[in-house]
Amino acid sequence: MFSLPLFKQSVKSNWVMWASITGVMSVLCAQFSALKMTQPLLFVIFYGMMTTILPAIYVLVTANKLIAGQIDRGSMAYILSTPVKRSTVVFTQGVFLVGSLVAMFGIETLVHLAVNAAKPITLATALGNSDLGIQGDLTASMIVQVNLSALVVCIAIAAVCFMFSGIFNSTKYSIGLSGIFVGVNILANMLAMFGSLGVSGLDKFKYLTICSFYDYKSVLFSHNDWITKMIFPAAIAVAALTIGSAVFKKKDLPL
Amino acid sequence: MPEIIKIEHMTKDYGNGRGIFDFNISINEGEVYGLVGTNGSGKTTTMRHLMGFLAPDSGSCEIGGINCRKHSDQIMKRVGYVPGQIDFPDVGSGTNFLNIQAQYLGIADMSYTEELIDLFKIDTSAPLKRMSKGMKQKMALVAAFMAKPDILLLDEPSTGLDPVMRDTLIDLILEQKKRGATVFMSSHIFKELEDTCDKVTFIHNGKVINTVGRDLYNEDMPRLYRVGFADEGQYLEFKDHTGFQIQSSNDTYKHLMAAVPMNEMNSFVRELSNYDMRYMRYVPYSLEMYYKNNIETGGNV
Repeated sequence: MFSLPLFKQSVKSNWVMWASITGVMSVLCAQFSALKMTQPLLFVIFYGMMTTILPAIYVLVTANKLIAGQIDRGSMAYILSTPVKRSTVVFTQGVFLVGSLVAMFGIETLVHLAVNAAKPITLATALGNSDLGIQGDLTASMIVQVNLSALVVCIAIAAVCFMFSGIFNSTKYSIGLSGIFVGVNILANMLAMFGSLGVSGLDKFKYLTICSFYDYKSVLFSHNDWITKMIFPAAIAVAALTIGSAVFKKKDLPL
Repeated sequence: MPEIIKIEHMTKDYGNGRGIFDFNISINEGEVYGLVGTNGSGKTTTMRHLMGFLAPDSGSCEIGGINCRKHSDQIMKRVGYVPGQIDFPDVGSGTNFLNIQAQYLGIADMSYTEELIDLFKIDTSAPLKRMSKGMKQKMALVAAFMAKPDILLLDEPSTGLDPVMRDTLIDLILEQKKRGATVFMSSHIFKELEDTCDKVTFIHNGKVINTVGRDLYNEDMPRLYRVGFADEGQYLEFKDHTGFQIQSSNDTYKHLMAAVPMNEMNSFVRELSNYDMRYMRYVPYSLEMYYKNNIETGGNV
């Protein structure tokens, strides 16, 4: 079911990318939450865009490398010529991909919690908008919940990329379709954000992106919408991972 | 010896006449078995089926009674594989790669691996990406042989090796045979097949042409001699009047190939003593000649 040597191998060949994205995300998070100048953009820019764009870049490259890249290069032959089942390979790689995202958000959340404990800010400041009539400080549980909401959406994006990686033997199709998927979602999310900031017409783009299921506002306004909204990306993730694994287990491999 | 590899009516059609069609191959335990064919004839496709990477359109292949596609993980406990296309996982140095392979294969004692590394004279500390083609091939060979598997599937194992290393590989294959391993290898280099294989199957354009055994080199078979003549008149006279069978001849260079039965060697030399020869050379009958006679010029292709 799970292969430790393969997991270690995946860590070895992907840690650089993971560490740099995690580093950038953590530094940005610390900056946006600590500096007075950027605090008003903490949610609009950092949580609104960075927490989806940065992991999406990581996921796009890594998901492709985990399966399709190794088949395209032919190096998967060395794994499958040992008593490791295809189902074990796909499960282990899936665990690595999802696990590395969890670790990424875990570290970023810890950084934010630490900064927030040292320099608490009010919700009005963090949203950069005092007209909303929102009271109180940004609490630790809010930070955790926002990140959880973002994490689930990123896992769904990862799962879709992983599905393409499992379906195609050729990197150009795997990364091409994953790229289109990620691009459309991120772009639509940004356009929808401009829509929510007042550019009329653009708000319709929120229906085009999976990122709409990530709802930090609901957390900050203490609604429970974000919990129900997590069901959809979670379902997409499960479906995509299942399809990707099933195709990978059955298909012909040019190794 | 019981049968260990069985390919029955296996067909994989990639369209446009590419693929393999109705393959039947049976390999007994302890045999060294060769698969010969030109590029694109289906050697690698056959190997990939045995490894369970491809599912046949029809027919089946089994190793040790286990279906290659359905339970490849069980088969892999016994199999060492050298892929036709060499590219390594992104794990840095050669040592790293071999250590990871050892973990997959459950090898704790690396002494045999060290032996193989010495044998092939590899510097495993080098990064895999910087290795030359030959070095990569040698790494792949070590990875395939390190677990001392019962069955070795070698897809063009000598690609990129220098002649000395090719001989080392031949010795290694013979050593594996001695300890009872079964070897199935594909190649288009006839020498390494001649030196190692008990049986050879010829394939062409995805079809099995035929299978020949060691008896291809029958001791009683007529020997072939190439004779070069100094004078054209003498060349033509010998060509037209000799009682020996002329296999081939070349009028421009005035040489010909004669088949001489074992017990007529003396009369052959006696007959030639009347002629002004430039040279006479014994030509060992080889798989290559067999291939040229039967496959390339044969009507069944």
